[in-house]
Amino acid sequence: MTRELLAAAPGIAPERTDRPTSDEVTDRDRPWNVLVWNDPVTLMSYVVYVLRKLFGHDEVTATKLMLQVHHEGKAVVASGPREKAELDVARLHAHGLQATLQRD
Amino acid sequence: MLGHGVRRRAGGGVRVRLAPRERAALRALPEQLRPLLRGEEGPDRVRQRLFPRAYDDPEADREFRELVGASIADERLAAIDAFEETLERGEEGRLGWTVDLDADQAAAWLSAINDSRLVLGAVLGIETERQWGDGPDPDEPASVLLYYLGWLQEELLAALSRDLEA
Repeated sequence: MTRELLAAAPGIAPERTDRPTSDEVTDRDRPWNVLVWNDPVTLMSYVVYVLRKLFGHDEVTATKLMLQVHHEGKAVVASGPREKAELDVARLHAHGLQATLQRD
Repeated sequence: MLGHGVRRRAGGGVRVRLAPRERAALRALPEQLRPLLRGEEGPDRVRQRLFPRAYDDPEADREFRELVGASIADERLAAIDAFEETLERGEEGRLGWTVDLDADQAAAWLSAINDSRLVLGAVLGIETERQWGDGPDPDEPASVLLYYLGWLQEELLAALSRDLEA
């Protein structure tokens, strides 16, 4: 459902050009990172399950990311254009995970 | 109880077998969750945990919420509906209550149970993993329910994760 909504409004994210034009090209190329944040209530096995389901990771990769979230407080689970990163965050939120997007 | 918990079914989906009073506890969840997921009521910390921010920047976060907030809530409310509907199915017998769930229904159970745990964790003020060291507080129904739902969610995940291999 979230996917459809974003697909129906593809102009939303790119229209937010609030950056100076001199850096436009490099800025646009700079990917947005999707971060998942540690949460003391969510089961570790559920985080692994969601990462596998949403991003198609194998169990080893998903477990590594989950452990990074657990030990370091957060992990980058995906990166890419802003609209793609927003869609990922929306899907993670729909699954009850704490996710944000930001650029380095 | 024989076969108590969640088993993977050949051909997909899972079989859930619970005691009647466990089923009764689950049946009480949907009507408590719905107003919270609709954003109609509940303390701020519950709202913040159910609907966390997407951006540090408040303006960008507001725009994100306007764009997808309703559909995120709708997805979870649809899962509550499916969860509730399957709780009315199945059979109660000598071995307890038994219901078969297909993959979508099992995913709805995971969603409803996870959202319930998020609410309970926020209500109980669980902010660090160290707080788990004490185990459930037998005098606090919300604490007992949080632990119980953790067990049930682990059961579901163990049965469903095998299907992700394929």
